[in-house]
Amino acid sequence: MAGFFVFLCGISMTDKRFSTVSGIAGAGLGLRSGHYQHIFETNPSVPWFELLSDNYMGEGGLPIVRAEAIRDLYPITLHGVGMSLGSADALNVDYMARLKSLADRLEPTYVSDHIAWVSIDGQYTHDLLPLPYTLEAQKNIIDKISQAQDILGRTLLVENPSSYLMFNFSEMSEQEFVGGVLEQTGCQLLLDVNNLYVSAQNNSFSASEYLAALPKDRIKEIHLAGYENKGDYLFDTHGYTVRDPVWRLYQETLEMFGAIPTLIEWDTDVPDFDVLLGESKKAQMFLDEVA
Amino acid sequence: MNKGMSLLELQRLFYKTVFDSQSPENGEFYARIKTTVNLSGEQSVNIYKDSILGGLTDALFSIYPVCVKLVGEMFFKHMVADYLRRYPSNSPDLGDYGSEFSVYITDFEPVRELEYLADLVTLEWSWHRAFNAPDTLAAGICSIADLSTVAEVDQGSIHFVTTPSAILVRSIFPIHQIWQVNQEDYVGNGIVNLDDGAVCLVVWRNAAFGMRIDVLSEQEYEFLQAVTDGKSFSEIATLPCASDLSGILGRCMQTGLIAGFTLVK
Ligand SMILES: [Fe+2]
Repeated sequence: MAGFFVFLCGISMTDKRFSTVSGIAGAGLGLRSGHYQHIFETNPSVPWFELLSDNYMGEGGLPIVRAEAIRDLYPITLHGVGMSLGSADALNVDYMARLKSLADRLEPTYVSDHIAWVSIDGQYTHDLLPLPYTLEAQKNIIDKISQAQDILGRTLLVENPSSYLMFNFSEMSEQEFVGGVLEQTGCQLLLDVNNLYVSAQNNSFSASEYLAALPKDRIKEIHLAGYENKGDYLFDTHGYTVRDPVWRLYQETLEMFGAIPTLIEWDTDVPDFDVLLGESKKAQMFLDEVA
Repeated sequence: MNKGMSLLELQRLFYKTVFDSQSPENGEFYARIKTTVNLSGEQSVNIYKDSILGGLTDALFSIYPVCVKLVGEMFFKHMVADYLRRYPSNSPDLGDYGSEFSVYITDFEPVRELEYLADLVTLEWSWHRAFNAPDTLAAGICSIADLSTVAEVDQGSIHFVTTPSAILVRSIFPIHQIWQVNQEDYVGNGIVNLDDGAVCLVVWRNAAFGMRIDVLSEQEYEFLQAVTDGKSFSEIATLPCASDLSGILGRCMQTGLIAGFTLVK
């Protein structure tokens, strides 16, 4: 046959698995595909990386090999949007099985997803959608998180999403909803301070009161990202540097809860690696202040 | 006290509002949303709607870059709008979305005269699937190295297996050339003669994670198609490609396209 095009996406790394680095501390970065090469070439000093589990759900190929190479060099966590924990649908056991095998392969410190729903009747929006804060929705997500934890054989971290609306028949505040979920499932909280700020602004509630209502010692990770001010509302694009009010809310959070491992997320218009690194250094500075 | 609704009911209504902007039930959904100082219920839902449809559109943009280049970004957006509504995503893996795009394009009137477009889209989908295909053969498949252990009398019962990433594509148009001249690193005059005729291709990933599109002869294609269809060596020996079977098999094993076999007596 005539060799036509060959595209070698070559990477230089050994097959040998080093002992996995585990445990996260300090200000880490969300790993984005455009940065692999830079990381492999420069071995930047980053305390840990968060990998988007949904990018490694393919059965094989280069992405998972690269993920393993990163895991051999840095502690990692896995973060996803596919569990659809808040959906009225049954938990997708195929997805959970794939996630479990990914987690077994990559041995992350944490596996996390969101207090939200993304699918209904087996149809996926691939977007984090808001829940009504009712007892029914709370019981539903408690059951799903418990099942997910049983399947994965580990404690999950769940994250507060950004929201642009609230339902007028909610029976409790978001913080009460989250508190109940943590209490009844034993799972931990991934507090996204940017999301909290965005939701609080959009839905006119107090972020400080929200923080004060959260149980101590249950926040295991913090996310920071940049929103966009659309005039009538704040939109969580994850496409900017962390905004000043979010840095202030972050400081407030650290003062209340101590130095919690923190991650810089950037998903749209991802800039050069050094821009992300600068953001994580800034977060590290705030962490050092409370350490 | 506002009238509530069950979680299931609410989520179904939310989904419907996003994908069917004309649904008469949308008003019922907007009425369940707490209005803010700046936004009505409908405006708040539209933020989600734009985000969902935008995310799915972006997914198709990244799987079909050559198609985007050929029809232009604006037109591609217009072209996918109805696809998003007609083909819901049934998998939590966004990488599974877009498989029916070539079928959709075949019936999409405005691009009817771009006759090669549906085949080109099939090629791009194949590339996407091959990129993410499993690295290793399924359990129970013998390695090619074990071929020598098969007794001569059993050789007709050999069922060859292609490497997991291999996907066969054929077209009456030179879609591989259209694909090539639209790659970012392409250097050349960019001329493709649509009358160059039919082409048989295999899209796959080699052991070093190199993505490949190889042009096959009719006979190579027939052989690999028969293998993919699960035909035994003795069945393949009755096909026209049998005239050069050892040559084809040798080349396919050497490149790694044929990666294993099973023995079904
Ligand atoms: Fe986050």
